Amino acid sequence: MKYELVAGFETHIELATKTKIFCGCTTQFGGEPNSHCCPVCIGLPGTLPKLNRQAVRYAIMAGLATHGEIAEISKMDRKNYCYPDLSKAYQISQLYAPLSIGGYVELSNGRKIRLHHIHIEEDAGKLIHQHGDTYVDYNRGGVPLIEIVSEPDIRSIDEAREYVEKLQQVMRYIGISDCKMQEGSMRCDVNISVRPVGSETLGTRTEIKNMNSITNITKAMEYEFERQVDLIESGGKVIQETLRYDDATNTTSSMRSKEDAHDYRYFRDPDLVTINVTREEVEEIKAMLPELPADKCRRYIDELAIPEKDAQLLTKYRRISEYFDEACDGVKSPKTVSNFIIGQMFSRTETESDKEIFDVKVTPKQLNELVKLLDSGKIRNNLAKSTLEKMLDTGKGALEFISESDMGGLDENTMIELCRQAIESNPKAVEDYKGGKEKALKALLGNVMKNSRGKADATAAEAKLKELIG
Amino acid sequence: MGTIAKIHEMLTTKQCSCTELTKSYLDEIQKSNGELNAYVNVTEEEALKTAETVDKKIASGEEIGLLEGVPMTLKDNLSTKGIETTCCSKILTGYKPIYNATVWDILASQNAVMLGKTNMDEFAMGSSCETSYFGGAANPFNTNHVSGGSSGGVASAVGANIAAYGLGSDTGGSIRQPASFCGIVGLKPTYGSVSRYGLIAYASSLDQIGPITKTVEDASIVFDAISEYDEKDSTSKGCMGGKTFSKLDNDIKGMKIGIAREYLDGVRDDVKEAVLNAAEVYRSLGAEIVYFDLPALKFALPVYYIIACAEASSNLGRYDGIRYGYKTEHYNGTHDMICRTRSEGFGEEVKRRILLGTYVLSAGYYDAYYKKAQNLRGTIVKAFNDAFKHCDVILAPTVPMTAFEMGHAVSDPVETYLTDICTVPVNIAGLPGVSVPCGFNAKGMPIGMQLIGKSFGEAEILNAAYKYQQAAGENFKDTKWGVKL
Amino acid sequence: MVTREDVENIALLSKLFVPEEELDSLTQSMQEIIDFADTINNAPTSGETFDNINNLSNVFREDEVVESYSSEEILKNAPEQAEDHFLVRNRE
Repeated sequence: MKYELVAGFETHIELATKTKIFCGCTTQFGGEPNSHCCPVCIGLPGTLPKLNRQAVRYAIMAGLATHGEIAEISKMDRKNYCYPDLSKAYQISQLYAPLSIGGYVELSNGRKIRLHHIHIEEDAGKLIHQHGDTYVDYNRGGVPLIEIVSEPDIRSIDEAREYVEKLQQVMRYIGISDCKMQEGSMRCDVNISVRPVGSETLGTRTEIKNMNSITNITKAMEYEFERQVDLIESGGKVIQETLRYDDATNTTSSMRSKEDAHDYRYFRDPDLVTINVTREEVEEIKAMLPELPADKCRRYIDELAIPEKDAQLLTKYRRISEYFDEACDGVKSPKTVSNFIIGQMFSRTETESDKEIFDVKVTPKQLNELVKLLDSGKIRNNLAKSTLEKMLDTGKGALEFISESDMGGLDENTMIELCRQAIESNPKAVEDYKGGKEKALKALLGNVMKNSRGKADATAAEAKLKELIG
Repeated sequence: MGTIAKIHEMLTTKQCSCTELTKSYLDEIQKSNGELNAYVNVTEEEALKTAETVDKKIASGEEIGLLEGVPMTLKDNLSTKGIETTCCSKILTGYKPIYNATVWDILASQNAVMLGKTNMDEFAMGSSCETSYFGGAANPFNTNHVSGGSSGGVASAVGANIAAYGLGSDTGGSIRQPASFCGIVGLKPTYGSVSRYGLIAYASSLDQIGPITKTVEDASIVFDAISEYDEKDSTSKGCMGGKTFSKLDNDIKGMKIGIAREYLDGVRDDVKEAVLNAAEVYRSLGAEIVYFDLPALKFALPVYYIIACAEASSNLGRYDGIRYGYKTEHYNGTHDMICRTRSEGFGEEVKRRILLGTYVLSAGYYDAYYKKAQNLRGTIVKAFNDAFKHCDVILAPTVPMTAFEMGHAVSDPVETYLTDICTVPVNIAGLPGVSVPCGFNAKGMPIGMQLIGKSFGEAEILNAAYKYQQAAGENFKDTKWGVKL
Repeated sequence: MVTREDVENIALLSKLFVPEEELDSLTQSMQEIIDFADTINNAPTSGETFDNINNLSNVFREDEVVESYSSEEILKNAPEQAEDHFLVRNRE
């Protein structure tokens, strides 16, 4: 029997606020242990939380960017469980009235992965287990998180990967998180079950907790899919449980011991008041959102005639797309701008993180000027290319490298003269061409272009060469 | 009587220095605390240091505020930086907060002289002060009797004149009930009018800090000082009803004083009689007495216990032996350490309430108990709102009885919970309530009456209470204890 | 009906040990309190909803950094600590 994978994600994303969600301590990553703490975030008796306005705004942005409905009334709840990394023995979260309801993430195959909701909550501290001892550091405790809960709409490992990448991309675009999985600012729990292809009912799911790289997510899902299928095929039953993925052995194992009872006893946090988001506020935040990557990509394809693959490369990171938008201002051929970026500029920003930062010496305005020179026919493509290289080396503008004489067309007589010279000095090529070798003409044309320093109009020169050879 | 006004006058007219005054209080504490057990921690050094500051100020001719240099005390669940704050629980022994409760910040900035921290039921869970890890505080009128709870230590100290006033906290009557038992005044302010920041939580949606004083005038002075908006407390609203002191002596002619029949059900005859006599006093002052029904009160007590215990079970989860307080000695792994620490560190009543709270929030019971109780809370809030369409303040007994003998409270939990029946509705509805002495029973034990106001109606109830106290001053008796001024 | 199992379960959730010999009496006592709490079941469910006292909403702080406490102060009350961490020592 063939089996199908069914998966849903719970994705935790740390918000890029300056301070923690309920106190003024910094959210900076790292720092000496317990040095980013105060009575509130270590849960000293008698302390009270006060909600960070920016955390709420960021969460609203996340909701809007994923097409969610922002709840007019939302509330904070306590999720009670006792664990040393949780300084109050409860996590302030949202269950009964989360901030954003519904929404979706659209994949490149056109499928929409529906979101159940997005809520805000606080992060826990960090535990280090050493020789059986437990060391506790609360620097991360109280850092604001959003949890994005998807419906079980994911049907393959590839979809899972793309879903995570898309979330990462969107959240970075709107600037609410750096989504660095290796630093823990983005973490995924996956609910996974299997069922015979064609079946409509959901199988029993397991939950793999806290994965911190896309590679681990896909490997863990592959392993867990196989494990569940094998289990069912051999007559066994999947037990609903929480699993940990071990990347060293590439296996999953059960996480909970009998010590951990499973009942969070959620109730409204009496220390915090209702969050009331008006329609006007939602509209105001919506208006401030940057154009989202999916919309940009579509616009590049439809309006700027950029090939889909290129459009995706241009929109992968917000900086590149903004660079492109600025460089395109008033140019005739956005495709030319795109080619320069994806070609010469990408070869200088090789890694993904280089691309994300996209720190190139040429400003979008400088690139724009160069492309406009091309557009107006004042310079030719070859010259533009070599000039861009020099610009990328030095950060200087195009006109630093192109002289007045390089610009403007070649007058007809000079062009004819250059063609004659090419024919005279390359008798072999002329012979070859006459003998039927079309390619030989390219060598002659190259000679003309070179001697005109790229200024000759290639089409006109080619026609003239043919005419002169006869 | 060592009232705030009297002490202020003594200091400003230089009848005694603040240091002398403070020393006399400290001496009296030394003499009587062994029997009263009101203080669990005397902060002599800090008190004398503040007294010295005040004396310097007076000597230099500077004006001093009403509360400046007045010796007072804080219930041991109010966080005091560097001073042990235990909630009278073993689990917090040795804990010295690294920050101050907002109320203490306010009073300390006015050079209040804190004599020490006072006894209470463990984590404010109790009605007799007897669940304290340090044993109960005695009633100054008869030391075989309880001081009441949970702020029993404050009431005992103020009643016995070993503090001019004190701050307590009231979750279901913990200020008013001990004030009533000890023959003094206790004000539970409107929820939100005094910052809870630094008050070690029992039940967050019910807790409120307030003054325990000898007179209504003192209660008004202290309330006016501490009812400030606090940005650290999201539920803080500050003094929405305005300051109360200037309105104390307002004429109450025509004021409508309501009596809800349900408040008199099951109340001992001597208490009922004293409260109805007080109604007569009001009538003689020109107020109008109106009777009405408040059937929603029938469910107030179970609603209170469900909500309070649910919140407590969550608030008290943090005592795990890792960050502060008591930690067990021998254990096998982290889970075992936490369970042992909690089992050894909490007393029986606290554990009982944690278990009850956990039960009513747990899967399968949440709807039947917690959710239903929240729904009824809404009903009770509305019932009070409706009642205040017919009257300005409500008059009721504070406690259905007078202080009972020590050792009689803790045997049957449900029976004990019933002593809170007249006080909890105010907490459920977030309203202000003040307990004022209104007589003594045959055994000479004080009886208290309660005036309940509209939301942020402190000025109104203190006005009514003040007028009563003026008209019926003989209800005060000084005990044999403490500083005689 | 409060059962022994209920009490064992909520004790585990509450991180409290209940000695075997106290389990019956505690179950009994819990039953009495729950019976008392059950009286609210006779109350009619009303349309009233309770949100929070004073119906407050939108109380926020601005996202401005306030200096943290020193780790020394943060750890001041810790029963055990090591290397700037709170410590649960599990070795004998």
